[in-house]
Amino acid sequence: MECVRYLQKCLRRPGALLKNRPWTLQNFLLKMRFKIIFSTLGFLLVLFIFVPIFRMLINSTPGTLVETAKEVEVFNSIFLTLRASLWATIAALFTGVPLAWLLARKNFKGKKLVEGIIDLPVIIPHTAAGIALLSVWGRQSLFSKISGVSIIGTEIAISMAMFFVSVPFLVNAVKEGFKLIDERYEKTAVTLGATPWKAFSSVSLPMVKKSIVSGSIMMWGRGISEFGAVIILAYHPMVAPVLIFERFQNFGLKYALPVTALLILISLAIFIAVRIFEDKR
Amino acid sequence: MNLLLQDVSKSFKEFAIKDINLEIQKGEYFVILGPSGAGKTLILEMIAGLLPPDSGKILGMENQKTGFIYQDYMLFPHLSVYNNIAYGLNIRKLRKEEIKPVVEKLAEELNISHLLTREVLNLSGGEKQRVAIARAMAISPDIFLFDEPTAALDRSARLKTQSLFLNWHKKDRNSTFIHVTHDFEEALSLGDRIGILLDGCLVQCGTPDHVFNHPASKDAADFLGYRNVFGGPVQDNILYINGTSVTVPVKSAEHIYIAIRSDDIIISGTKFQSSARNSFSGTVKNILKKSSIIEIILDIGILLAIDITWKSYKEMDIKIGDQLWATFKVSSLKVFEH
Repeated sequence: MECVRYLQKCLRRPGALLKNRPWTLQNFLLKMRFKIIFSTLGFLLVLFIFVPIFRMLINSTPGTLVETAKEVEVFNSIFLTLRASLWATIAALFTGVPLAWLLARKNFKGKKLVEGIIDLPVIIPHTAAGIALLSVWGRQSLFSKISGVSIIGTEIAISMAMFFVSVPFLVNAVKEGFKLIDERYEKTAVTLGATPWKAFSSVSLPMVKKSIVSGSIMMWGRGISEFGAVIILAYHPMVAPVLIFERFQNFGLKYALPVTALLILISLAIFIAVRIFEDKR
Repeated sequence: MNLLLQDVSKSFKEFAIKDINLEIQKGEYFVILGPSGAGKTLILEMIAGLLPPDSGKILGMENQKTGFIYQDYMLFPHLSVYNNIAYGLNIRKLRKEEIKPVVEKLAEELNISHLLTREVLNLSGGEKQRVAIARAMAISPDIFLFDEPTAALDRSARLKTQSLFLNWHKKDRNSTFIHVTHDFEEALSLGDRIGILLDGCLVQCGTPDHVFNHPASKDAADFLGYRNVFGGPVQDNILYINGTSVTVPVKSAEHIYIAIRSDDIIISGTKFQSSARNSFSGTVKNILKKSSIIEIILDIGILLAIDITWKSYKEMDIKIGDQLWATFKVSSLKVFEH
């Protein structure tokens, strides 16, 4: 009841008029209502995210986690996930960093289109992305017919799916990094005798190091958590998110918990690493 | 080999330069004077070969090394001072033993030897500039290009830099110096010749003396620091502006501009007889105290800005509202058409 009356009062009295009123708890709360409402809403949101993750972490003891990690199936799965995402990230570095530089430096016809295409994987539902990739690289595709090779169910397919959905993070992070570097640094290098490549490799790249690292870590982490696209291209071998899904489907919540907790821990560690690098800037 | 710009035009984002025709002699100290953002940087970048002109040609730059120093020096933040200076030599794959003496000698000449191991982040403006100069000099360029080198410096650093450049040019007569600035005093004191760039066009080119005493246009005069620029019709050698009749050396014209240097005008407490044909009485509207001179704004129907020394100011005890006489000779007037 008190709450309702408090809320009604909040809506009616402008805070400024409360300046000279005598100090009572109610008046104090009324004056602070802006901050209180904002804080409450924010707190609910943070709680919504925090509680499930926290529960996962405290429900498994370190002992259980270690045991789970030792299981061959789990160990292989997690290792596969980390490895496949790493390959995807490395491929993205080779192809994405030059692209990021072009997008940051040059204006060309269709640039907005290219930037839009780079952003697409973030919007497309991931299973849809998986199906789309399948139509190009799958058993019935042109590629498969010509090369005689099927990548379905291979680690390469997993990396490709991970690459597809997470490369925007790397490209955009590095692009923003390049944008922050004044072009005159590169121009100065050229006047000092550097070729465009030398100016890029000896001046631009070192200066954009932090963006490359944080973009790579972000992409790697994003690839590790990918489910929808990966599962279409390769249910087996199972990456960790797929393993969790299968355990849950076949054996229920309790059986899926330890692997989940393990995976969350690893993701958290990656996340913290990104923040540390971002802060150092 | 002289540097030749023929009908060079370029537009780039908000800047545009049109039909620049310019010849710069080898070994000359040439100053391009113009307001900030007039496209002066574009000209330098085109000369350095960083940008192609939209139309026109730049000749004389084949096999020429350029030493370019941007306004903010652009020192590579991930390299130490030593490696910044050595950058051009490292690029050319010189050996460490060859690079070391060059860098150390330059650092000594520019008084930055004690900074060689430092990171560039915490250097002062003046220190950064000297590192940038050393870095450019390390590759022994034929042409030095300076983009507003003193704009980011405080006054004392600016004056030090100007005398540094002056002495440098005296010692090195083989290198061409092309210096871009918006500061007309700097242009006048450093340049062998000056080119005035206004609105993307080179409106005037000549020795400092010539340019300063014969501004080609009202805008050029404004930019050269002329505080008294007026325009109007002339009849029988009289220019009418706002009810004031100024005697001018032109018989008659529909419209001309005149400019009078602030230190060409004499002020006095009383009217005195003299050979000068222009003498006006007016009220002191404002007194501006500058570093070594005082500027009096006198309203004689038009506002005249007159420079006098501190000593005169004190002796005459000038206050706002005082009635004073301003006198100047007809021959001290600069006349131009637009």
